Amino acid sequence: MDELRKIERKKKRFAVRLKNSKKIICTDVPGLNIVLCNVGQATGFKKNDLLLMLEKITPEPKVLKFIAEKGDSHCFIVFNRIEEAKIFYDTYDGTLNSNSDVPLYMSFVESVPNNEVICSSRNPEGLTLIEGFITEDEETQLYQLFDWIDESNLKNRQVKHYGYEFRYGSNDVDLDKPLDEKIPQKCEIIWKRLKEYGINFSIPDQLTVNKYSPGQGIPSHVDKHSPFGDTILSLSLNSSVVMDWKHHNNKYIPVVVPSRSLLVMRGEARYDWQHGIQPRTWDPIIEVRKIDNELVKVITSETKARGTRISLTFRRTRQGPCNCCYETLCDSRVTPNLDEVASHLEDLHVHQVYEQIAGHFSSTRHKPWPKVVEFLQDIPPGSIILDLGAGNGKNILNRNDLLQIACEYSVGLLSECSTFTRACCVRADVLHVPLCDGRADAVLCVAVIHHFSTYARRRQAIATIVRLLRPGGRALVTVWAKDQSKSNYLCKDKENTESDTYKTVGVHLPVHQNRTQFKHNDVLVPWKLRKVKENKLENESSQTLLRYYHVFEEHELEELCQNQGVIVEKSFYEEGNWCVICQKI
Amino acid sequence: MKLITHNMLTSKCLKGVVTGYPLAIHATDVKINEVDFNPEFVTRIIPKLDWEVLWKAAQSIGHGEGLPQVIQPKYEEDSEFLKKAHRVLLEVEVEEGYLTCPESGRQFPITKGIPNMLLTEAEVQ
Repeated sequence: MDELRKIERKKKRFAVRLKNSKKIICTDVPGLNIVLCNVGQATGFKKNDLLLMLEKITPEPKVLKFIAEKGDSHCFIVFNRIEEAKIFYDTYDGTLNSNSDVPLYMSFVESVPNNEVICSSRNPEGLTLIEGFITEDEETQLYQLFDWIDESNLKNRQVKHYGYEFRYGSNDVDLDKPLDEKIPQKCEIIWKRLKEYGINFSIPDQLTVNKYSPGQGIPSHVDKHSPFGDTILSLSLNSSVVMDWKHHNNKYIPVVVPSRSLLVMRGEARYDWQHGIQPRTWDPIIEVRKIDNELVKVITSETKARGTRISLTFRRTRQGPCNCCYETLCDSRVTPNLDEVASHLEDLHVHQVYEQIAGHFSSTRHKPWPKVVEFLQDIPPGSIILDLGAGNGKNILNRNDLLQIACEYSVGLLSECSTFTRACCVRADVLHVPLCDGRADAVLCVAVIHHFSTYARRRQAIATIVRLLRPGGRALVTVWAKDQSKSNYLCKDKENTESDTYKTVGVHLPVHQNRTQFKHNDVLVPWKLRKVKENKLENESSQTLLRYYHVFEEHELEELCQNQGVIVEKSFYEEGNWCVICQKI
Repeated sequence: MKLITHNMLTSKCLKGVVTGYPLAIHATDVKINEVDFNPEFVTRIIPKLDWEVLWKAAQSIGHGEGLPQVIQPKYEEDSEFLKKAHRVLLEVEVEEGYLTCPESGRQFPITKGIPNMLLTEAEVQ
């Protein structure tokens, strides 16, 4: 009896603690959720222990969720049916746990912690994970070959180089000082096998072997662009690990890298993403689930211990500046002339293209965009509206009670605008709008900012809009979205198999395949030019021109408006475009 | 180029130029294009303009006759004035000519009624 009262007291104290720490309420009312008050991750209690207990009371033990958070000496169970939860409670509450002499006690709870993180299930573009790339025998052989006692003084891990020494200070190699030890012959099976997967690459000449003990990691990094080629291979031995992939647009994707797998990093994954491994002795269990018909990765609160892992990173050395098309992390691209390159690129692939396609382009765009009409419907008579990048003036309203000023770079489009609309036309660049500060009641900038090729120039475009607005004035800004899945743009049967890149102004840019999902943020989009003859479009296209676009990720446009003196009132996706309505403070 | 547009134009984006306003007009061809008269619009737009700049611009191209140099109180009730303002703001068009930056002297051509305010990369701030 004493024992029972003792447990009741413990339960009460636990309930108070749980309420304070996790805002979870214990209850006497049976439900689906149970907390085990004195066992958990910290006491070594695992999902398997739970399953063993369940086996004894039901033939096919099933729980929906088992949540044992790191460092906690309690854990949560979510059952499928209340009956099962009740039986479990009645059978085990207050009974002795097999590996301890303290009775197990538990309580029903109103809720369970939800620390799960949901991420995209799609790996970074250019990242290929080949599981079971080598056999267990091969793994054993390689592991023995590289399992050595500490030879270096790197804090976090043990490391050895072949072919060329990787210099940690400059993150490159000294091509004049090749090492005597080349990549061991045993590794050559990798090249042969990889070719069978249809992956083309230059045979690596540099290998870095890292031995990670549990608890060791590697900070987030990108392999420096210019010293190494476009394909980097990483083979994992002995233990799996969760590798974190981060993109500078804030995307985060955890990737489970099992032992015996080969990671092939190319394209965006190679050049535009950073990867790293957290220094811990465990990894979260990552599940793939279907939520709203979409596959997602879920970082659960369950964990798995890490073992010692050896990773083999193969690279191909190279000379000269990098010629990738991913500016952000590129060591060859950080030049003071970035703005000049950008302006040259925009001149060739935006301004000149629009000039050439003006007639054809104009013939495909007549009506104001419904969102523009909506945006301007409540604007009072006598308002000043600026349309920056007005094109042929399709968004100019036929109203005589507004002052509408159209700024446009292309002479061809501007002359259409001037002939067919009421707008006052000015030939100007959106980065340097020749209009007085703070006079506009509203600014439109529709499908323009995606033509600026650097982050700084895109920020500057927003800054210009803000400069022109009067305090309280509002702007509608729209840009093309990278994600076209919710628009009419995509052609169902077409898949983006793009592999073409086009070298222009010294950079390689991918050429997009029209009517397919975008694979890259910075792309050249083909325009098949058709001539206009006697007011009719010719059927045959005479020439293909490439327009430069920076297609936007979700939230990227809002981010661009941050700290610029405007409040984003509304942000939405419309027909393949990200849009914001913002108000000047 | 209508004078209402001119009232908003500046060359301040030029390197070394502080205000770049107002731009001087040199017109070689000026036309009158009739536009429907909306007294409410004219009434409401006037406070948003720099009237003195408008008056000088109108004088400089010979279309300022009868236009008061200063806005009168209760101008919104003076329909003759509103009509005159309407004409100067919206109907007088500089078809050909150029604009000149008051600080740097840089000229911006006006062709077929459209001022070309493009700057080269080297000219901007």
